[in-house]
Amino acid sequence: MRMLRRFLKRLSSWTKIQQNEERLRAEIEEHLAFQTAENVRAGLSAAEARRQAVLKFGAVEAIREGYRDQRGFPFLETLIRDTRHALRGLRKAPAFTATTILTLALGIGATTSIFTLVHAVLLKSLPVANPGELYRLGKEARCCYWGGYSLEKEFSLVSYDLYKHFRDNTRGFAELAAFQAGQSLFGVKRAGRAEPAQSYPGEFVSGNYFTMFGIRAYAGRTFTANDDRAGAPPVTVMSYRLWQQRYGGDPSVIGSIFNLNEKPFTVVGIAPPGFFGDRLRSDPPDFFLPLNTEPFVDAADPDLNKHDLHWLDLIGRIRPGAKPASMEAEMRVELKQWLRSHWGEMSANDRAKFPHQTLFLRPGGAGISSMREEYEHWLQILMMVSGFVLLIVCANVANLMLVRGMERRRQISLSMALGAQAPRLVRQALTECIMLSLSGGAAGLAIAFAGTHLILHFAFPQVNGMAGIPIDASPSMPVLLFAFGVSLLTGIAFGIAPAWMATRVDPIEALRGASRSTARTGSRARKTLVVVQAALSLVLLSASGLLTAALHKLESQNFGFDQDRRLVANISPMLAGYRAEQLTPLYQRIHDSLSSIPGVSAVALCIYSPLDDNNWSTDIWVDGRPAPGPNDDNSASWDRVTAGYFEVIGNPILRGRSISEQDTATSRHVAVVNEAFARKFFKDEDPIGKHFGQNGVGSEREYEIVGIAKDARYLHSGLGKPVGPLFFLPEAQHDVFPADKSNEASPGSHFLHDIVIVTRPGASLSDAQLSRAMASVDPNLPVISIRTLKEQVAFQFTQQRLIARLTSFFGILSLVLASIGLYGVTAYNAGCRTNEIGVRIALGANRSHIVTLVLRGAFGLIFFGLLIGLPLTFAAGRFLGSQLYGLNPYNPAVTLIAVVALGLSALAAALIPAFRASSISPLEALRAE
Amino acid sequence: MKEKTDVLQGTLALMALKTLDVLGPLHGYGIARRIEQISGDLLTVNQGTLYPVLLKLEQEGSIASEWGVSENNRKARFYRLTRDGRKQLQAETRGWEQTAAIIGRFFAAKAEDLK
Repeated sequence: MRMLRRFLKRLSSWTKIQQNEERLRAEIEEHLAFQTAENVRAGLSAAEARRQAVLKFGAVEAIREGYRDQRGFPFLETLIRDTRHALRGLRKAPAFTATTILTLALGIGATTSIFTLVHAVLLKSLPVANPGELYRLGKEARCCYWGGYSLEKEFSLVSYDLYKHFRDNTRGFAELAAFQAGQSLFGVKRAGRAEPAQSYPGEFVSGNYFTMFGIRAYAGRTFTANDDRAGAPPVTVMSYRLWQQRYGGDPSVIGSIFNLNEKPFTVVGIAPPGFFGDRLRSDPPDFFLPLNTEPFVDAADPDLNKHDLHWLDLIGRIRPGAKPASMEAEMRVELKQWLRSHWGEMSANDRAKFPHQTLFLRPGGAGISSMREEYEHWLQILMMVSGFVLLIVCANVANLMLVRGMERRRQISLSMALGAQAPRLVRQALTECIMLSLSGGAAGLAIAFAGTHLILHFAFPQVNGMAGIPIDASPSMPVLLFAFGVSLLTGIAFGIAPAWMATRVDPIEALRGASRSTARTGSRARKTLVVVQAALSLVLLSASGLLTAALHKLESQNFGFDQDRRLVANISPMLAGYRAEQLTPLYQRIHDSLSSIPGVSAVALCIYSPLDDNNWSTDIWVDGRPAPGPNDDNSASWDRVTAGYFEVIGNPILRGRSISEQDTATSRHVAVVNEAFARKFFKDEDPIGKHFGQNGVGSEREYEIVGIAKDARYLHSGLGKPVGPLFFLPEAQHDVFPADKSNEASPGSHFLHDIVIVTRPGASLSDAQLSRAMASVDPNLPVISIRTLKEQVAFQFTQQRLIARLTSFFGILSLVLASIGLYGVTAYNAGCRTNEIGVRIALGANRSHIVTLVLRGAFGLIFFGLLIGLPLTFAAGRFLGSQLYGLNPYNPAVTLIAVVALGLSALAAALIPAFRASSISPLEALRAE
Repeated sequence: MKEKTDVLQGTLALMALKTLDVLGPLHGYGIARRIEQISGDLLTVNQGTLYPVLLKLEQEGSIASEWGVSENNRKARFYRLTRDGRKQLQAETRGWEQTAAIIGRFFAAKAEDLK
């Protein structure tokens, strides 16, 4: 009640400030008159009586201030007054202001731009209704197909049959949707148009996918349960992006027929803008298709009704009040029931692993977080690095503020002598700092926007016509808040100490003239800041050195194949509607057509060329050995290639022979294995002439090993580790086991993706020449992309390169900032010692002695910086750990280079003030105040 | 220089209230003078410090003020205690007496009393 009354009073008195000032003035005057009269009665002279009265009354200004604090809103008024004061002060020092704001903008910009990525990748939920109600199956994200009735660790992917079992039996879900874990490229063509097919990513989803997410169509409609039924007319939903960019938002797209892989689909609706599917990824789907159209599209090898092929992710919306923990337990029971119902089809190993099969239900508001897992550590590193840069920026600005504080000592002393209160002065200085940091923050936002754009551009290079990564570089609300918070924090962090120190001046001492005093207030604080800066930038420099060295080691390693003069073109015969039996002649035609281009020396095709970052893994059975038990690892990756492939890719055959023209459909089935395969499965034995198979018991004599190829790297994952086992099969040969050809284990493996072309030395080959040659084979077979093998290899290191470059950029930035800081401190200290130096010179010290004197001071700081920085550097190396791909984090060369770089720039920063000090004229120095 | 006793926050306000209670409506100088007299110059406080305190009391409604004419015919602002102020004074007096009694008992205590 009293508070309210005071508030109202304050409000009313605020409106009559003038009146109040007048009242106080009158009251003071009355008071003094009373006291003077009293003093006169006591026998003092009139003048003395007045003086005594004033003395007794106390400092009028301070009292007036206390009085003002009791009425109106002093905080607000002071704030306005301080702001005005700070603005005036800053306008008077444009160089200082500009430097500070720029430095701050760099620090805040760097941090904010990294935070934008952290927010988008690690923190943000999917843009769907009530993401908090969504739960997903599985702890970790898996791709793309897993087979069998037992999965390692957890069932995070499920088959269509298992999905239906969960959907129909788990009551806690309001909706449970399933969708493809991987995604497919589709050859897309609008029916009735004479345009070549273009490839866009698409995803098979269950009929309730959009309902589950609470997503409504932007135009037309989304799917209903009726669309996802065997035999339903095939329909699709198109992304808003494609609709706008490719078809200009043409309303007639809705309802019209599009051919996806030569199969007609009716577009029934457009997904809303901003919806990018069930997970954040660099190539979000442009087409959504009902699960039940999968056999229609992929008639050759449909996956939908294979009960033991797990290729679907699950996300469900739970009913209000449902308990996810009990739902998880319920679903574990359902999983066991389902496995039991397939007992007859299970292999002995599957049965042995049955007791360990389990699943997990986890919050799914962020979708399937494959990107999160992939980038988490990188983003943490970047966040740390940019945090360090921000710290250095703070230290630097604090230094600038300290200098400014020193220069204003006289002014502050004067204010204090006139009765200004210390807290007020601190508040004033703080206001200035916060204003600077907020302006720095605003400028930093602009830098962050540009920076995020640049990082996204380099991290996720956009492929022609495809959607880019759905991360918006423009700052969102949380990012804005973050930048504001960081600015405020930095403002307080770098402002409070200098502000406090500025008020600890002894007015008399300050007014007498600081330059003569030998004690330099605040010089220890400034030195500490420089030491911290030196230490931090050493850490950043060596971190960037380590990452760059690791990248260099990655890129320059021997991959086991030739990169020079080699091109890789991607095709997709499946998209063009080819059937399995047409493939071998097609490849022959492609080979002949491309070989006839002048300048081409050899051509071969394969599913996976080296380092295109894909892989097909399988379990193998070696002839003459017992069947592998449940805990035996008998996995290997494989590839299917045409004749002459090893010669084309430059992968040497160490023993035996390579795959050649003599390996035809009717000849003996052969395989070439790599060294790792030979080591893993044959140890000391000679693998040549041995047999193995990949289609389970009975297939052991399927392939005969005819050659051993040198280990070549095909996979990007596990770059720091040795190459894994790999075997190669001729394209022309089809597995004969099981004897029933319709059940051939992997007919899809005959759809080769990559054409590898070797050009003659000195010859150049244009994309147009290639496209023409391909068009002469089949104009409907689109070439998806053409790049050199070098580019393909370099592409694998995009991330590493980006991180190394960013860290280097931050490292150099921090070095520059630390040098500026050191320069400032050295120059200031030398300036303070002008007198002393003048005396020394007058007493016969020579110039080089003075230079040494100043340099010694500067290098003392750097030395302490190294002392603190070196242990931190090793800690940073440990933190980088796995990102160094086996490079030793205690790398003396990198540390040495970082130390030398720091030393050199320190030398450069200290030499200028040192020379300036040594050229002081003793006369002038002594004369100077 | 005589040792000063720092005026506790709020003590000055209490002294001002009590002065007004005893002497009736009074101007600022009069209040300052009385406080000085009663504390016997042990309490040296800048007289001016009183004015912000008076303003605060007025805003809280413990006192009211108006312009008037002083005994020697000067224009002066007179302060008087309101009903709220009287209540506040009574409450705070009790509080002080209690505190003083407790502290007094502590000072009077001898070692054997505390065993």
